[in-house]
Amino acid sequence: METIATEIVVVGAGPGGYAAAFYAADKGKKVILVDRVERLGGVCLNHGCIPSKALLHATKAIREVDESNARGISFGAPKINLDELRAWKDSVLEKLGQGLSMLSQKRGVEVLRGKGHFEESQTLRVETREGQKFINYEKAIIAVGTRPAMPSAFDLGNRRVMTSTEALEIEEVPKTLLVVGGGYIGMELGTVYATLGSQVVLTEALSSMLVGVDSDLVRPVMRYAEKAFKAVRLNTKVVKMATSGKQIKVTLAVDGVQREETYDRVLVSVGRVPNCKDLGLENTKVTLDEKGFIQVNGQRRTSDPAVYAIGDVVGGALLAHKASKEARIVVEAISGESSTFEGVIIPAVVFTDPEVAWCGLTEAEAKERGIPVQVARFSWAASGRALTLDRPDGLTKLIIEPETERILGVGIVGSGAGDLISEGVLAVQMGATARDLAESVHPHPTLSETLMEAAEVFYGYPTHTLTPKRR
Amino acid sequence: MDVRVPRLAEGVESATVANILVSEGGRIEKDQVILELETEKAVGPIPSPASGTVTKIHVKEGDEVAVGQVLISLAEAGAVEKVPREKRDGQRRGEVSVAAPREAVSVQERPQPKEEPAGEYRYESRSGFPPPASPSVTKIARELNIDLTRVRGSERGGRITREDLRAYIQHLQRIADAPRPVSEKIEKPALKGIDFSRWGPIEKKRISSLRRTVGQRMYDSWSTIPHITQMDEADITDLLALRKKYAAAFAKKGAHLTLTPFALKAAVAALKKYPIFNSSMDEATGEIVYKDYFHLGVAVDTEAGLIVPVLRDVDKKRLWDLAVELNELVEKTRQRKVSLEELQGGTFTISNQGGIGGSHFTPIINKPEVAVLGLGRGVLKPVVKKAKVETRMMLPLCLSYDHRVIDGADAVRFMMELVQALENFPEKELKG
Repeated sequence: METIATEIVVVGAGPGGYAAAFYAADKGKKVILVDRVERLGGVCLNHGCIPSKALLHATKAIREVDESNARGISFGAPKINLDELRAWKDSVLEKLGQGLSMLSQKRGVEVLRGKGHFEESQTLRVETREGQKFINYEKAIIAVGTRPAMPSAFDLGNRRVMTSTEALEIEEVPKTLLVVGGGYIGMELGTVYATLGSQVVLTEALSSMLVGVDSDLVRPVMRYAEKAFKAVRLNTKVVKMATSGKQIKVTLAVDGVQREETYDRVLVSVGRVPNCKDLGLENTKVTLDEKGFIQVNGQRRTSDPAVYAIGDVVGGALLAHKASKEARIVVEAISGESSTFEGVIIPAVVFTDPEVAWCGLTEAEAKERGIPVQVARFSWAASGRALTLDRPDGLTKLIIEPETERILGVGIVGSGAGDLISEGVLAVQMGATARDLAESVHPHPTLSETLMEAAEVFYGYPTHTLTPKRR
Repeated sequence: MDVRVPRLAEGVESATVANILVSEGGRIEKDQVILELETEKAVGPIPSPASGTVTKIHVKEGDEVAVGQVLISLAEAGAVEKVPREKRDGQRRGEVSVAAPREAVSVQERPQPKEEPAGEYRYESRSGFPPPASPSVTKIARELNIDLTRVRGSERGGRITREDLRAYIQHLQRIADAPRPVSEKIEKPALKGIDFSRWGPIEKKRISSLRRTVGQRMYDSWSTIPHITQMDEADITDLLALRKKYAAAFAKKGAHLTLTPFALKAAVAALKKYPIFNSSMDEATGEIVYKDYFHLGVAVDTEAGLIVPVLRDVDKKRLWDLAVELNELVEKTRQRKVSLEELQGGTFTISNQGGIGGSHFTPIINKPEVAVLGLGRGVLKPVVKKAKVETRMMLPLCLSYDHRVIDGADAVRFMMELVQALENFPEKELKG
């Protein structure tokens, strides 16, 4: 048995955990980073953001080839070598993983591979390959994240019923694929498989895909999905599944009427659950909320003064960049600074086709909370750049506080929305007004002009569109 | 419609809700009293501006409310009853609104500082967003523990810049360096936390807001003005004889003739001769303000505590008018129906304890006045007059004055003038 003393131990090496470990090391702390898997980077790098975006990018070529036909440039039918595609994707992950290892090493962050278990408030036991190690720490940062939910009714122990983790391995391109859940994971991976040639049926229990996103931003995505997928079934519940030879028999319920269908594979994307079990949290003073997420304050401290938690495991937006921001806050809090998560604007991006991105207040939220706002919309049909890209199916909108003209929120749907939203984040976080945005020159011809023109719509004098009202 | 706290009086920005006389859902008529507000030294009724139904009461008894704050919502009679959306009351239409000041009741006639007092500005947003400021400014504010909702932003949309933050901090520093404002709170007694019941049975009563106000003003006056009390006695044997002679005539006019009207008249005579006693010191400008009017405060002992209503233009009124007015004012004050205006503008104060008893005492100056006259109870004393011992009624007089403005020699002169005025009170003043 070996006991190691450290100032900070970070459990989980995802975008929250490694960011915290690196920042703490940069601030001169002695840090140990613990993770179960060999490659650092957590779900984001191994089974989430990065592999899914690699596959979306790779398959985008196929979608663009299709669109290109109408522009007078044609190619032959694509040939798909899944092994090479997978290998390329894995090489991206490997490169990034090695980068993280190198960054840890150079910073003097000690990385322990193994499962962490809290023995008491200030002792963590790690089961490494070389045996148990005990870490006595001053502060612990839990960043163990979430995993895909797999309701027991679907858990057949059959590899044909996949979560996002398995789906990203693209063992095969099934002829038919049922995607259960119309959230961003189902939409993104459904797009990958549909492009690769699967007949994709997407079901969503609620009345809309991407629930929570403003409906005008969802509409272009819905149009794409209806075209690319074999079917999009809203208000549809999956009741049960059963193995049926080399297929999966699925019982669906639409308006109380049940029917059976068979699919070669099923992707279950119905949400994510926190990895709080088997952590030994019962040996600390850490408390969980009713959904099993760790309860923390604005500084991300748990009910145990020696234990902090960040990222997916504390709930809220389950997004990598939220975890990374919390990593900054938690390290500063431990260093005695007064940083807090309150007032931090977290953008969200869905990498569908087209992409959807938003930040700050949404129109739906404003309506729900009775906040009076004015919404300025600029359709990409009026954007020169969007037309040259042959992607006029976009919309940029600003949620504006009428009295002060302050920008409270930004929503974008369209090609590259995920990159465009950053300007919106800057505007909201800085407390910018629509006037600030309207008066900042945006280069032509770019999609970023749509933000400026949306602000001009608010004042009634956009160059490239007509508006009835003037301010 | 919303019924808001009306303008109360010059310099009075807040009040305490004393009694709420209506209930939610109840009907009220125009001019019916909705509730009573306790301000400074009086309880004032707030009448309803219209008939209708009370849809919501936004305050509770004991609340401190500011001018402009919503008291109740009223569905006007005849108007269609609508569900009030008053959750966001007190906010103006604009996103950036200045919440009404909630400072303690301040002493009247306090010279207004040119800068807005700290704590006046409050950023409020219906969207619930924090004040607009860049992350770097937010970070500095957090490190310095500065609440950004109190900082007025100078940029578009009220955005707070580093310069705004700096200006705010400098403003706080100037306030900290400035002479203590008169509204300074009484320091907490050191006795806090002692369990007096260990030594016997006790009863606890909350200090009323009037008591607090009186205490605050007394503390302020006593701790900021160098007080000297000049003592003397006046022979009022003749004056009492005069009073007796005219008592019946006065009673017929409904005036109970106490010693106070005489003292008021005598004081005015002395004030006219020594105008420094009728002045105020303007601490802000370093000037002495002489007043060409004679509004005299009279300390009234009420159930709730000391209240000082003011009699206007004492010099211009006949004695019996003064007596009638004084009786009315005292009665109104005891019932706590005296208006705020009637409590302001005094130039000199008389505190007559003689009705109860007592001899010499050291009255506290009613700031921003510079002197106060205390009267004890007249007692018969052997007095040597023209080498003969006579029994005379002697009235204890005590004059406290602000030694920053007035010197002892002036005080003696004033006192001599006063004694003279009382001892030779002109009978013509009583004829009416």
